[in-house]
Order: sequence, then C-alpha cells, then structure tokens
Amino acid sequence: MGITRRQFLRWTGVSALGAVVFNGCRIPEEELQIESPVNLPEDLVTGIDNWYATSCRQEPGCGVIIRVVEGRAKKVEGNPDFPVNRGKHSARSEAGLQTLYHPDRLQTPMFRADRNDDFLPISWDRAREILNAGMNSLSDRSRFLLVTEPLRGHLALLTSEFVQALGGRHMAFQSLEQINLHRAVKEVFGQDRLPDFDIENANYLFSFGADFLSTWLSPVRYAGGYGEFRQGDRKRGTHYQMDSRFSMTAANADKWVPVKPGGEGVLAMSMAYVIIRDGMGNADAAAALTDGQGPQALNAFAPDSAMVRDATGLDSGKIEDLAHSFADEGHQPSLAIGGGTAGAHRSGLFNLKAIYALNLLVDNIGKKGGVRFNPAPPLPELSREDVASVGMPASYREWQELAGSGSVDVLMVRGANPVYGLPPGADFARVVNEANFVIAFSSFMDETAGMANLVLPEYTYLEEWGDNVPSPGPSYQTLGIQQPVVRPFHEGTSSFGDELLTLGRELDLRLESRLEVTPDATMKDLIKAGVEKLWPENRGSVTAASFEGFWNGVLQRGGWWDTQATGDSGVAEIKPLDTAWDGSGLGDPGSGMFSLVPFLSNSIGDGQLAHLPWLQASPDPITTVVWHTWVEINSKVAEDMGIAEGDILEVSSGAGTLEAPAFPHPGVPPTTVSIPIGQGHTGMGRYAEGIGDYNYNTLSLLESTTDKDTGALAWAATKVRVKKADHGHSIDIPKFAGNQFAEEPHKGTIIKVTGPS
Amino acid sequence: MLIKRIALLLVVSVGASATGLVLLLAGAFVLRAWWTTPFEVLGFGAAPEQPIAFPHTIHAGVDVWTYPDGSPKLDADGSEMSGLGLDCTFCHRNVDKGATAGVPPVEQCLFCHASVQGDELGEVAKLVEAWDTKEPVAWERVHRVPDHVRFVHEAHIRYFLAQGETPSGEPALVAADVCSTCHGDVAAMAEVNQVRSLKMGDCVDCHRDYNAPTDCTTCHY
Repeated sequence: MGITRRQFLRWTGVSALGAVVFNGCRIPEEELQIESPVNLPEDLVTGIDNWYATSCRQEPGCGVIIRVVEGRAKKVEGNPDFPVNRGKHSARSEAGLQTLYHPDRLQTPMFRADRNDDFLPISWDRAREILNAGMNSLSDRSRFLLVTEPLRGHLALLTSEFVQALGGRHMAFQSLEQINLHRAVKEVFGQDRLPDFDIENANYLFSFGADFLSTWLSPVRYAGGYGEFRQGDRKRGTHYQMDSRFSMTAANADKWVPVKPGGEGVLAMSMAYVIIRDGMGNADAAAALTDGQGPQALNAFAPDSAMVRDATGLDSGKIEDLAHSFADEGHQPSLAIGGGTAGAHRSGLFNLKAIYALNLLVDNIGKKGGVRFNPAPPLPELSREDVASVGMPASYREWQELAGSGSVDVLMVRGANPVYGLPPGADFARVVNEANFVIAFSSFMDETAGMANLVLPEYTYLEEWGDNVPSPGPSYQTLGIQQPVVRPFHEGTSSFGDELLTLGRELDLRLESRLEVTPDATMKDLIKAGVEKLWPENRGSVTAASFEGFWNGVLQRGGWWDTQATGDSGVAEIKPLDTAWDGSGLGDPGSGMFSLVPFLSNSIGDGQLAHLPWLQASPDPITTVVWHTWVEINSKVAEDMGIAEGDILEVSSGAGTLEAPAFPHPGVPPTTVSIPIGQGHTGMGRYAEGIGDYNYNTLSLLESTTDKDTGALAWAATKVRVKKADHGHSIDIPKFAGNQFAEEPHKGTIIKVTGPS
Repeated sequence: MLIKRIALLLVVSVGASATGLVLLLAGAFVLRAWWTTPFEVLGFGAAPEQPIAFPHTIHAGVDVWTYPDGSPKLDADGSEMSGLGLDCTFCHRNVDKGATAGVPPVEQCLFCHASVQGDELGEVAKLVEAWDTKEPVAWERVHRVPDHVRFVHEAHIRYFLAQGETPSGEPALVAADVCSTCHGDVAAMAEVNQVRSLKMGDCVDCHRDYNAPTDCTTCHY
C-alpha cells in the first residue's frame, strides 16, 4: 500500500509535534542532580547575594560595591557611603568584571631568556627564582628602574621603601600626565595636593579645557556634583566651557566658547585684567596678584589688544562679558577650573596658573561652591615626600632623557604600558631593548609586557588587598580600602605588593623593619597595620571599642574618612600673576594645516581599558562611534576639501602619520581636528589588538613639544596636515546615530567570558 | 461444540478481564503517580542510588549501631556506638537562610573526615578522592518541585520555629522536627527517599491547616 501525499504530511506533522512536545516535557538532566561544591566559600548561601565594598582601580578614587553570588563577582555599583563618588559610578567601573573574567587574562608566569624567542609558561616558584637571579645580576643597583602607574596609599609606601632600600629608581607613568596641574596648584595655592572643586554648590562654573564630565581628574564626582548644580534643590547653575573641542562637557554647557588651542591662559589673564580694571572681585587679592600695581600690570592682556585676539580668537566684547559674569556679585560663588588641553601646550603651566588665579579674585577658597583644599592623608607615613613622589607622574622630558641615557639594566614594569603610551619622541621601546632583563607585572599581554623576559600575571583589583588615598580627595581626610571580593579566578596569578615583599626578603632589603611589620607580612598585614594606627584616634566615619570592630567597620564601609579633618581654609600668600606669556608655536596653524586636539576616550581612556569589549562598545557621547578611531573635522571645511563621513584621511605630523575615517561635524572649530586616544593596540588581547583596518595609535602623532617650565608633554600643541588618503578608501563608521549598517570592526565572537581552565 | 464454545467464551472472558485488569492497574498507577507518589512496585518510588552511599542514620540518627545479628557495635573502649545525632542544619547550613537547603561542600565533610577514615569506610575514600581531584559530587536529587513552583525553605522554617505550639497543641518544634514535617524521619533512612507527594494538593492542604496563604502567587511567581 503506497501512502498518499496527504498521509505523508499528516504523519510528518504528528511526529515533528511529538518530538517537540515530548522533548519539551522532559525534565533537563541537570535538574535531577545536585552538586556538592568542593570548596566551602565563606558566607555562601545559594541564591543569596553578598555586597562587598572595595576601591576601583579603573575609575581612580572611586569606591565601589560588588555583588557577589556564590563566590562570583556579578555587578559593580557605586559605594553610596564613599565620599568621592557618593554612590555614583561609571562605565569604566562597571567593566571591572570584564577585567576579572577576560578570556585573554594571563594565567601563569611566562619566561624567555632571549626576547626573540616565544614565551614558555613556568611555575611561580621557578618565576621567583628567575626574578631573584635577574635582580642579583645587577652589578650596580642604581641601574634598576621600576615603572608603575602613579601609586598612592600603602602600595606607594612599599614601592618607595623597596626602591630606596635597593638603591634603584622609580618612575610613575601617566600617558597624558598632569604635572602642569600639580605645579599650578602648588604655585597659585601653595598646595601639595590637588584641591576639591565644589561644583555641586557653585553658581557660575567656568571650565577651561577640562572635560570634567567625562575624563578629567575625578569625572564621577564632578558629574554627580553637576547633577545637583543643574537640577538639584537650588537655583540652576550656569556653566561656560572655554574649550578648543566640542566635548561632552562643552555640549552640556550653557555657553561653549571655542578658544584657540593654547590661548586659554591668555583668555584667563584678559578676564583677570577686566575684573581688576573694573574694581570687581576681591580688592586684596587683586592687589596681591598685580603686586600692588593695579590693572596696568596686566596691560598686555587687555581684551582689545591684537595679541589677545590672535591668541584666543575671541573679540574684546566677548571677553569683557565673560569676565563680568564670572566676577558679578550676584553670580557668586563662581568657580574656575582648567586642565586637559588647556594645560597641554608649551605654555601649559602659564595657562593653568592664570586660570586658577581667577578663583583668588572671586575669593572662593575654602568656601562652599569654590576651591576646597585637601588635607594630608590620614597616616603621616603616607604623606611623606618620597611616598607622594611615587604618585607623581614623571614628565615627558624625563622619559626623553631616559630613552637616550642607556642607564637601565633591569627594568620592572607594573600597571603601566609606556611602550604604547609614550609618543615616539620618548622611545620607551629603546629603553626596554637596551635593558638586560625586563620584568612585567601585568594581567594582560600588553605592548610593554610583550617585550619582557619575565611576565608575572597579577591579580585584578577585585582579588587583592590595597588601599587608596583619592587624588583629588573630597576636601577631607579619606582612606579607601581595597579588599579581595572574590577568590583569585586563576590559580597562577599573584599580588604585586606580596611579590615585592617576597622579593625584598630574598634580596635581604629588610623592608619589614622599615615598614614596621612582622617579617612574614603580606600586603594585607601592611594595610591592617596602617589602619590599626587610625583606630586609637577615635574619630571619623568608623569608631569602635576594639580594633577588630574598627577593622570590620572600615572594610564594610569601603574605607575611613573624617569630614572634620579638612584642608587649609585659605591661601597663605598670594603671588603676583606670571605675565611672561610665550606665544611661540601658537596661533594660526597655516594653510592646509590644523591644530591637533587629541582627547581621552570617554570609555577606554588613554587606551589602558581598550581590552574591555563593554567599553569598546560604549558609544562616544558626541559622535556615537564605537570600536574605532575617527577624525573630527569641521563640516564646512570637510565639504570644501571634498571629504565625506567615513572617507579615510591621512593625518601627518612631524612625528608620524595615521589613517582614520573622517567624522565631519559642525561643532569642530575650523582650524582644528580632534582624534580620540586609545586604539591602535598591538597587544592587550583580542578586543584591543588589531581591531579595524584604520585604527592607529593617536599618540604616535604627537611631537615632542614640552612645557617650557615643567617638561610636561604639550600633547595638544601638535600641528597636523590632513588630506584624503591616496588609496581613496571609505568605510561606514561603526556608530549608533543615524540609520546605517555599521562595519563589523571586530571579526568573530563579540564577547567571550571564560571560566578557570 | 458446546464445550468448545464455553471454552472459547472462558478464554475470551479471562483474556478480556486480564487485559482489563492490566489496563486498570496501569491506569491506577498513572493516576496515583500523577496525584501523589507512585505505588512502590518494580522499583518505583524507591530511593535513588547515590554516588556516595551517605548514611543519614549514622550522622543524624541516635540509634545504637548493631551488627546484622542484632548485637551492638562496640568501640575500642568497649562502649556501645551510636549515631551522632547531628542537627540537620549542621550540614544543610543554608536551609534557614535561603531558598534552597543545599548540600554541604566536600570541604565541610572533610572537616571531620580528614581524620575519620578507615578500611571500613570505603565511601569516605570517594569523598577524599573528590577533594583531591577537585571534582564536585553530583548527588541524585530526591526532592524536586517543578520549575513553576517557588519553594523557599527559609520562610517555612522561620514560620514553624516561631510557633509557640502546633495547631494540634503539641509543644514548639525544633529545626529537625520542622524538616521531618515534609521530609519524614531522614535520620532513620539509610537511603533517602521521598515520603510525601509534594504535589500541589499536598502543599495546599498543609497551607490550609496552618492558615498560610493559598493565593496562586504564594508559590507561583
């Protein structure tokens, strides 16, 4: 009997339905079993979450709380108690989980004797032997160099003691270093530490080049304060942004004043001139700032002078208006802050000094809505000069000198990636190549670790002990504690602090006696010993009858702070304004030339976080571009040059050339182009390395111009030539705005998270 | 002919009634299994075989241990050995804290069994092996409610412990009594099996007895 077509379809339908129904009804195999985990984690209740307070290393100065379920970190939130960020946090904090679970995290120490060979995985015992042998190979211990990120707290103390006991050198690396800011604060206010800016309570806020809502200093604190400033239970504050780029902060301002790059200081001086001339503001401060001479001391900066017009690109009426609204009595408290590109020119220090001096004229020091100074850290040893210097980045000039000196035999790098982050003029790769033995502590195979002999995989900050004295602090003494919220995810990792202590013991440096801890102390013991000194003072956010109670309280709150222990309330001595303006290298970039305004990415920063896909996929707040570099260019200029969005541009400076797609945008001043920093990695794992065809390292464009006083890199002073690339390629920029198909910049699986192998 | 017919009739009727009986039994089995626990025939409803034959009798029970002939086991001192009488929450330590009772981690077993080992305790060797190889132990689940039911141990234990006396006027309960309300006398089971149906009717009956809410969303949420 043959079956008809109708019968065939019926049976097919029934059997397909049966397959679906009966499979769907089955109880999944794993539901019928229940597992006994091997280890007994503390506080583990199946299905119940624990929140632990700790410090964030990806958003410096912030306190976070981490949701931990069954021993796994699941979510990062802002610590509502922590004074710097008060419960707020950022995408950069949020992505801490991806650092922890990253598939390309280094899981075991690796070694190669010859740096042309491949790395071989080794055990920690072997790695420590090699490390000791490498250190002992030093004939002259002054030829040891330790490079870290700027450190604070007890790790800074330990590092300082280690380097001193050994007799080596330490340099802190920050790719766009803030030396000019520190120097300006020192010279204008006489302060060793960056002050707190009370944006929350200010009435008129003048920001010169500081992208404070996005990347500048302590953006989470400022953005939180800005919310109150704009929408809080008070009169809405007014914000003017004097900036050579239309940043996210400029987009939020009431008025964006596109000042010519480098002219911010002249603008501030000119405003000071107007304020003093018109008898506004504080008369005593005006007299001190002009050395008793009155406004004629600043005659050169009169708003109607040709020099001011050339340097700032603003007409005199606009400058007079700005000065008046800054110093108007009804507008107080007003606050002036400056940084970012304003401090990144040959005369960066001059610019910042002029900007911060405006605060003296409106007398807002130590007041609500003004500049509030930060006190010394709560423990005296943490404010020692040698410890503070571990937190102060080395200037670009020092890196340049280092590159030519051939003075390093053994190089140890931790938490810093200078091979990527230094412009070609300070050739750090040369320092690495000339050293005999290179050690890298890193969680990822970044560009610097990729050139090392010995790579030691580190814990992430969610797995290790640490502490943090926020800089800038919240205007009172604060010590943030970083505690391990989860057990180490990979067995073959270790803590930099612990390894430094171990190495000190092997080299017989007697660090323990210098640090006043027991001979077998770990980083935890060191921090606990420090916290123990706070307990008898019986003040601040945590007080307890016993030290154990105090210690637990400090860990629960995420740190210790004392709102009563504030900094100085005024400036001891107001120095006269520096009028030695050097305009060389500024002004019109010339025909076919543009001033390059590089900027830190809102998410991946200076490229240190480029390996985290969540951050790569966070759209830039102005352009909505993701996973890519782009060149912001004025729409009209682009039209004249025949450039459309996505056309690949060739941008060349005296230092190098890069190719990136054009992003024409009406908010770009016509004589500038802006390029974000952070892409163009040749290491750091699959999400940073080699993504996109036109992702270059923007830092490679920067010429070696430095501030004439401080030697800081003038990273906003480079002039570039821009043209369409000869090959004439064009791409669809991967962006969220508009209705278009985006290029897939990352081939393959977008996000991968691994378990321990 | 008649005999033949009678014989045929007999065969047919016996066959029919046998088939009917089988069908009836099968139907009863399915219905029983649907509404409560299945009849304990052919291994249905029996305790599942566990990867480690963990005896609750020894850990939670208090009875004197005996040999098969009924004589008591004696320890080195000559005194009688008995169950340890551990409280349920000694091992199932999350039962009064979270939704699931949970099984203890291997490390917790090793707190005692690091020293309590021996030739007699072959099953302990499996435990030690799990510890050495860091392999979790996959127990066969005995009690399970479907995915659409949310059963929270913590709330039930809290409720019962807070009662001054049970509705029948008996004195207050301790945690172990609370557990046995649903799980039976586990301390007496060498192999744990399910004693109550734990079907919806069972839950609702008990909720009514104790004036607990019987809204759908009490359990189905």
